[in-house]
Amino acid sequence: MLDLRSITTHVRDGLVPAHIYSDPEVFALERDRLFARSWTFMAHESEIPEAGDFVVRRVLADSFIVSRDDAGAVHVLFNMCRHKGMQVCRAEAGNASLFRCPYHAWTYAADGRLVGLPFHADAYGGEAGLARQDHGLLPAPAVAAYNGLIFASLDPEAPPLIDYLGDFAFYLDLYTRQSEAGVELAGPQRWRVRSNWKIGAENFAGDSYHTPHTHTSVVEIGLFGEPQPHKRKEGVLYAAGPGSGTTYKLPPGDFANGLGYVGYPSEMVSRMEATWTTAQRDLVGRSGFMVSAATLFPNLSFVHNWPQVDEGGRVAPFVSLRLWQPVSATETEILSWFAVDKAAPAEFRAASYKAYLMCFGSSGMFEQDDVENWVSITSTAEGSMARRLLLNSRMGLDHQGRPLVEPYADFAGPGVAYQGFGEFNQRRWLAMWCDAVERDT
Amino acid sequence: MTAAPLPYTNGAHQLAHQFLVEEAHLLDTQQFEEWLDLLCPDVRYLMPVAVTRARRARPQRGTEPRADDGEGMAHLDEDLFSLRRRVERLATEHAWTEDPPSRLRHFVTNVRTFGGPGPDELSVQSYVLLFRSRGDIRPADLLSAGRHDVLRRDADGSYRLARRVVHVDEAVLRTQNLAILL
Repeated sequence: MLDLRSITTHVRDGLVPAHIYSDPEVFALERDRLFARSWTFMAHESEIPEAGDFVVRRVLADSFIVSRDDAGAVHVLFNMCRHKGMQVCRAEAGNASLFRCPYHAWTYAADGRLVGLPFHADAYGGEAGLARQDHGLLPAPAVAAYNGLIFASLDPEAPPLIDYLGDFAFYLDLYTRQSEAGVELAGPQRWRVRSNWKIGAENFAGDSYHTPHTHTSVVEIGLFGEPQPHKRKEGVLYAAGPGSGTTYKLPPGDFANGLGYVGYPSEMVSRMEATWTTAQRDLVGRSGFMVSAATLFPNLSFVHNWPQVDEGGRVAPFVSLRLWQPVSATETEILSWFAVDKAAPAEFRAASYKAYLMCFGSSGMFEQDDVENWVSITSTAEGSMARRLLLNSRMGLDHQGRPLVEPYADFAGPGVAYQGFGEFNQRRWLAMWCDAVERDT
Repeated sequence: MTAAPLPYTNGAHQLAHQFLVEEAHLLDTQQFEEWLDLLCPDVRYLMPVAVTRARRARPQRGTEPRADDGEGMAHLDEDLFSLRRRVERLATEHAWTEDPPSRLRHFVTNVRTFGGPGPDELSVQSYVLLFRSRGDIRPADLLSAGRHDVLRRDADGSYRLARRVVHVDEAVLRTQNLAILL
């Protein structure tokens, strides 16, 4: 029997019972309390640009059609026929004027309305027996978008998305709003790994400490020079609202120098300058930091790196979004997208795409070693000994739980930031996790 | 491909088949430097993502397998620079995902060879089933794919890989990463 109080008390103290990374009982709580409530990422509007376009995405076991109707509105519809429960859409992407159930031909429009069923009059006595307007596909209880990122919540009482995002929206813009045109996603690559979903989410939330060692090989081959210990510890770890992330310290210089250093062409720098707020510009120009990995609770992560992409030593930045889609306590489907500003020149887009494929995603040279670690943690967490072991996640605190360093003063972004290594963000993510799994109906 | 493949008795077909078998041997024995020697300087290695679509679906941006100059997404879209980086990385002492190394076996079958597209080129289609075992307790992974290759004959008469498109059969890969090649 799960002693949830004991688990969350330890976790809040930075001592993590190892079995939470493999425990089916913990996973059941996550399903029923966390994912049944939280805002989760479904798709980006650029994946369904035209009327009738759709993609099918899941929230754990629940399949949803994310569609665009003729008027251009986006819908998130539970992919289950109201009659006998058949999936009305069995493709994962496409364009369709209607979703017709293969079983008995109940037919739904892109906005979910039931627009046809055979023998409505003969079989049901028409509207008298079955009112079509009451039998549309079930919409996700809450749907909202920010920067074209479509989120859904299974909780009809979910707070407005913008309130949920809070101060993290400031950082979300740096990844997904580099011009007024907005971002465009390509992908996703999808693959399944035998890892608990929390490990990746925590890692991206703030683990700057793993980079110099896990990713030593990419430094050795000259692919990406930044993750060296002396450079990595100069970055700050920031946390704001339901998200947090890591940064790298830029060489001395202004806004344009900083973005130029990571490989943005001047026209993109100009658009960022015109689009971002003063504080967003100051994060780069005055404070001198560039965002790298981040996680928005619970399971959407971001990464921004700038590797070498050709023999001549050209550096190109890329942005990736990834969803840690839980399959079970010990398995996760990773969906990883390449994201690029819609106004980016074609030449930049090609270099950035190449940078992404080399570093992240199913074949990425960073991600390869991360997943090896996470799979190993998950399988080791399944045994009896793991039930006795409290993993130490107290980096950055003294024995009394006080931060070893003061928050970083000259950081232009909202929230709190610490320079150097520390597990402030992972503990913060885990505290949100505790709140979520403790929250009873 | 409308033309009939070369007969199995054809010398060019036999050379192409042997090329694929020898290449599989290098990949399975993880002689990656030697594998790089099989590649043309302008090699293109592409593995688009597989997307489950209705039979008559019209293509949709974003998720369509990446064309040469188009949008879309691939698991791998490589040139000699990026393939060389991947091989160099595996040769370091810190490529954890392949240390201890996977036990690999590429089963290559259904080889069909066609002349062209260039005068010194052969188009070769094959099936590949990759068995990958990592560690002692994890279940092994299988990856099934078809490949469309272009082999080009050099001045010295030997064939090298100019282009490979790997059509993987799963929309969601069931292997922890592509630190391996198909």
